[in-house]
Amino acid sequence: MQKISQNFFDLFGIPESFTVDLELIGEKYRDLQAKFHPDRFAHADEQEKLAAVQQSSYLNEAFDTLVSPIKRAAYILTLHNLDIEHVDQSELGMDLLMEQMQLREALDGLSKDESAMMELSKLKTEVTGKLQQKQQSFSLDIDKGKLSMAKKRFYEMQFLTKLLKEIEINEEQRLGY
Amino acid sequence: MSLLQISEPNFESPVSTHRLAVGIDLGTTNSLVATGCGGRVEILPDLDGEYLLPSVVQYRKGSPPVVGEKAKAAAVADPENTVISVKRLLGKSATEIKNSDTVGRYRLDSSRDEKAPALLTANGSRDPVQVSADILKALIARAEDFLKGKLEGAVITVPAYFNDAQRQQTRDAARLAGLKVLRLLNEPPAAAVAYGLDSKDQGNVVVFDLGGGTFDVSLLSLKKGIFQVLATGGDTALGGDDFDNVLAEWLSLQVFGGKKLDLGEQSKLLHYANQIKHQLSDLESVELSYADWSGRLSHVQFSTLCEDLINRTIKTCRRVLRDASKSVGDIDNIVMVGGATRMPAIRAAVTQYFGKPPLTHIDPDRAVAIGAGVQAEILIGNKAANNFLLLDVNPLSLGIETMGELVEKIIPRNTTIPVARAQEFTTFKDGQTAMKLHVVQGERELVSDCRSLAHFELRGIPPMVAGAAKVRVTFQVDADGLLSVIAEECSTGQTAEIQVKPSYGLDADSIEQMLKLSHEHAHEDMELRALKEAQLEASQLMEAIDAAIEVDGGLLTKEEARVISSAITELKQALDKESSGRIHEQTEKLNKVSSEFAARRMDLHIGKGLRGESIDAVDQSNK
Repeated sequence: MQKISQNFFDLFGIPESFTVDLELIGEKYRDLQAKFHPDRFAHADEQEKLAAVQQSSYLNEAFDTLVSPIKRAAYILTLHNLDIEHVDQSELGMDLLMEQMQLREALDGLSKDESAMMELSKLKTEVTGKLQQKQQSFSLDIDKGKLSMAKKRFYEMQFLTKLLKEIEINEEQRLGY
Repeated sequence: MSLLQISEPNFESPVSTHRLAVGIDLGTTNSLVATGCGGRVEILPDLDGEYLLPSVVQYRKGSPPVVGEKAKAAAVADPENTVISVKRLLGKSATEIKNSDTVGRYRLDSSRDEKAPALLTANGSRDPVQVSADILKALIARAEDFLKGKLEGAVITVPAYFNDAQRQQTRDAARLAGLKVLRLLNEPPAAAVAYGLDSKDQGNVVVFDLGGGTFDVSLLSLKKGIFQVLATGGDTALGGDDFDNVLAEWLSLQVFGGKKLDLGEQSKLLHYANQIKHQLSDLESVELSYADWSGRLSHVQFSTLCEDLINRTIKTCRRVLRDASKSVGDIDNIVMVGGATRMPAIRAAVTQYFGKPPLTHIDPDRAVAIGAGVQAEILIGNKAANNFLLLDVNPLSLGIETMGELVEKIIPRNTTIPVARAQEFTTFKDGQTAMKLHVVQGERELVSDCRSLAHFELRGIPPMVAGAAKVRVTFQVDADGLLSVIAEECSTGQTAEIQVKPSYGLDADSIEQMLKLSHEHAHEDMELRALKEAQLEASQLMEAIDAAIEVDGGLLTKEEARVISSAITELKQALDKESSGRIHEQTEKLNKVSSEFAARRMDLHIGKGLRGESIDAVDQSNK
C-alpha cells in the first residue's frame, strides 16, 4: 500500500493558491474517482479493495477541503506550518471581538418566529459580503507571503463562517425543519 | 504522485464469460429481482408470471416458510404467524418495535435480548434478519431457476436513510441466504440509473421515493456519467402503509364507531383500505361497502385525510434542497419511485412544489430493481462501466461520545463516501490508562438522542497527567455506507479497532454478545460520567466565582454576597453526596444567583476594554 500523503493541490494538478477554479477541481475529482473508486475494484482481491477504499477516501477528503473556502484556507496555513488549532487571544484584536459581539447581538435580538425571516436574510447578506471581503484579503496576504496577516484573516473568516451557519440554523428553526 | 501509481482496474476478464448477477429490491411491501438479459435489464417473473414478490412470510409448524402471494393471502386468516413489512423491523430494538407497532401486529419473543428482538411464530422465533433471508432465498430461487445457474453476486438496494444497523442487518440477511453482496446500493440513485438519466450529459435530479414503509428524497447531480449524491433525507417511518392506516382508521370510525377491533378484523379492514387506496389512484370517487355499512369516498376527501402525510413528504424535499444549497429552479428532473407515488395527491403535491411534472413512465415499483440490476451487471464485469460511477453520501452523522454525554460529530451527514476522518481525544483523569469509546449515529447533540452503534475500549495508554495523552480516533466509512473505527494512542502506537461492520469475520451471535456486554457496561459508565461531569462543572464554577469576588466583590451588595455564599455552601454539601442530579441542581442555582453579578462585571470590563485597558478580563467574565 502506498502511503497517501500527497498535497491536495498536486493531487488535482492545480497551483497552490487560495483562488481556485472550482469547475476544474470538480472535473479532475471526477476523473480520479472514475479510476480509483471501490466500484472499479468490485472483483479485485481484498487488498486492492481496501487500497481503493483508502485512495477514494483520500480523494474525497481532498475535494471536500479544496471546494470549501474555510477548509481550503486552513489547509493552506497548515501547508505553511502554521498552528491554527491554538488561538492566541492577542492575535485576534479588539476590532474582531467588537464586530463579533455586534453581529451576535443582532442575531440574538431577532424575534423567534417567522416574522424574523426578512431580518435574517438581510443579516445573511451582510455577513456573506463581509466574508467575501475577508476571503479576498486572505488570498492577497497569502500570495504576498504575509502569513501572520493571513492567519488573522483566517480567524475572521472562521468566525463569519460559523455565524453564517448559525444564521442558517436560525432560519431552519423558523421554517420548522 | 503516489495516488497514480496503483494498477489500472482489471478489465481482463473477457465479456464472453457471462457471470450471473442480479439486482434485488428488498422492499417493505414487495420485493423484486432483476438481471441483464441480452444487453437489457429485465425484472424476473415467477412461474405464474408475477413480477412482484410480496415481502410476506408465513411460518407453519414443521414446514418450510411460505413466502410471497400465498403468505400474503394467509395474513388475514393467520396474522399471528405471518410476518409483513419486516423491513421496518431491521436494526430495531424490542422497545422501538413495540413503540412503532400501534396495532399490536408483532408478537415479540420475551426471552430475547432487548437489542436482538425476534418474533414468535408457530415454527419458533424468527428474527428480522432470518425473515429477510427467507425473502431473499425465494428471490434467489426464482433467479436461479430462470437463469439456470448459480448466482455469483447481487446488488441489494436499501433506503438512503437506512442507518448503520439497518444496513448491517440487510447484509447479514444476504449472508444467511448464501448470497454474495457486490454492493448495498441506495434506492434513489438506483432509480435514477433505471431512468437512464446517467446517459444524459448533465443536470440535477431529485428522486422522490415513497415506498410501502419508507420515504427517501435524494438530490443527485450528474456530470459526464458520474452521479454524485449531493444530499439525501427522508423518513424511515413513513410510507404507503401509513396511508392505508389513515384510511383504515377512518373506516373503522365510520363502520364500528371507534370500537377496539381484534387482529383479524384489523387485518381485513386494512386490506380493504389498501384496495380503496388503489382504486382512488384511477377514480374520482369510490363506493364503499364493508360489513353492513356503505358509503362513498372521493379522491379529494382522501387527500384531505392524508394531508399531514403529504406535507411531511414535501417538507423533506425542502430540507434536501436546502442541504444541497439548491433551489427548486435548479432541478432538471424529478423521478418518482415506489408504489405509493401512484397516488394522484402525491403527484399533484410534487408537481406544485417543483413547478414541473415528475417523470413517471417507468413502473414506480420496478425502477429501483432495474437500476440495481444495471449496477450488478457493471460490478460483476458483464457490462463495461464506461465512465459510469455513483458517488454516494452517508445519510446520518457519525460521532463519538465526549464528556457530558455530548456527541462530537466526526463525519457529518451528506459527506461523500468512502471517507476516513480522524480526531484526537485526550484523557480526563491523571494516570488514566484506558479509554472507553462510544460510537453513535444521528443528528442530535446528546448521546441519548442518537443511535448507539458500538462501545469499545482502548487499553495500555501510558499513565500521564490528565489531558497529556493523545488518542487518535479514525472513522472509515466504505462505499456501502458501513463504518469501522480505529483508536490509536499516539505515543505508544497502542491500537484498538472495531469494525462496526459484522461482515468481516464476526458472526451474528458474537455481535449480539458484544452488544449485550457493552450495553451492560454502558449504564454504569454513563452514570459515572454524569457524576464526573457534574463535579467538574461545579468546581469550575465555584473557582470562577471566588476569583471574580476577589477582583470585583465591590459590585455586590451585602445581601447579594450572602445569597451567593450560601449557594456555594449548598453546592459543597451536594458535592459530598456524590449524586450528579443534586450537584447539577445546586450548580444551576449558583449559576442563577450569580448571573446578575457576571452581567455587571461584563458591562464594567467591556467599558474598560473600549478604553483599551484589557480584553482578557472581558474574556474571563464571558466564561
